[in-house]
Amino acid sequence: MEQLIKVEHLKKSFGNVDVLKDINLDVEKADVVAVLGPSGSGKSTFLRSLIDLVEIDSGNIYIDGNALCENAVYPSAKKKRKILEKTGMVFQHFNLFPHKTVKENLMLAPLLKKQGTKAELEEKTLRILKKVGLTEKLNAMPNNLSGGQKQRVAIARALMCDPEILLFDEPTSALDPELTGEVLNVIRDLSKEKMTMLIVTHEIGFAKEAANKVMFMDEGYVLGFGTPEEIIDNSDNERIRNFFAKIKY
Amino acid sequence: MTFFQWLPQMLEGCLITIKLFFITIAFSMPLGLILTFLYTSKNKTVNKIISFYILIMRGTPLLLQIFFVYFGLPYLPVIGEYLTITDRFTAGAIAFILNYAAYFAEIFRGGLLSVEEGQYEAAKVLGLTDMQTRTHIVLPQMFRISLPAVSNEAIILIKDTALITAIGLSDLLKVTKTIVNKTTNVSAFLVAAVFYLIMSYILTIVFKKIEKKFSY
Repeated sequence: MEQLIKVEHLKKSFGNVDVLKDINLDVEKADVVAVLGPSGSGKSTFLRSLIDLVEIDSGNIYIDGNALCENAVYPSAKKKRKILEKTGMVFQHFNLFPHKTVKENLMLAPLLKKQGTKAELEEKTLRILKKVGLTEKLNAMPNNLSGGQKQRVAIARALMCDPEILLFDEPTSALDPELTGEVLNVIRDLSKEKMTMLIVTHEIGFAKEAANKVMFMDEGYVLGFGTPEEIIDNSDNERIRNFFAKIKY
Repeated sequence: MTFFQWLPQMLEGCLITIKLFFITIAFSMPLGLILTFLYTSKNKTVNKIISFYILIMRGTPLLLQIFFVYFGLPYLPVIGEYLTITDRFTAGAIAFILNYAAYFAEIFRGGLLSVEEGQYEAAKVLGLTDMQTRTHIVLPQMFRISLPAVSNEAIILIKDTALITAIGLSDLLKVTKTIVNKTTNVSAFLVAAVFYLIMSYILTIVFKKIEKKFSY
């Protein structure tokens, strides 16, 4: 199997708080990894380090064989952009560009990066919006969309750059419960298309059904890594068992 | 001297007022923007220089600054003789531009701080360069957020222009005062008030339109 993400001995602290203590991870192509664990365990920080939103203190990160960071040394901004070209991210609070229409949100990055002519990208915009079920919102402003719609636009925006890896940082945590389904459906569809994904989430049911691997984090360590059955249902680690017993998904 | 004799003079005064207004806006806003970016740059020395500049410009009266540019500069040792500005309007306009640039810099800085961190992060994960992020994401939002404060500042400016009366320019206020002296009648003051009101009102409407156009 092709290895898309490799993380070795990753460490990160903010001030004198050690957030990530020794993280190791291998993600293969088409893996869907659910990153679970209690609040403050470092899940988001870890995810953000994979796309250079957080600079790590030591360790290595390889994206599709290229070193984003080796012994905490990063390449130039230009090289980092090149290495992360195939990595996209979806945020908890969507972070759509509020002054641009849905269409402009989708087209801005590929246009600036010259990833196609305007006509090609317009066609692609429609195709991807159709995939997330929002064709009719092409010319809407983000502030006129519901939370679920905003998040689907955010996913569509990430897809415009043809990512091979998609990172989701609590994609449904800011949504009303009745709106999470539409977003989770889109993520499910992506997993069927063999998109490699890391998803920080509190939706244990979804993790169990859609992920093929679960990474359990606690206090800056990876306590468990395996199939959903191994980690969620049959872990031999007491902390992990307690966690899932308490939340009773 | 009848109403129809002095009205044209007042309109001429209005023209000077309006000219000063537009010249100040046209130069002080871009200058303010440059100051904002210098101020938010990582260079500590540059930061200190800009914040000192803003302190001086906001902390001293505009009238004093106008006097300083027009009467004071020539007396500066060594460089004074090169800085003599004989044209009253130019001197006044320079003082206005320097002063308003400081206010606009602060307004834009506030707008810049209001752009959420998530916008920078979204731009970064989409592979935008810092320059692209600035021009396509940050600046448009900063301008939109700053608009109400800019509008407020513009209305203050149209009235502040009256200060150039002090260096002998025939703006609306100066002309009016002369007419009042000649006619020994207060009605010219009332007409001037109406003129200022009309100009402020037009500004209010224009900015409301701009705000509406750029709302999101």
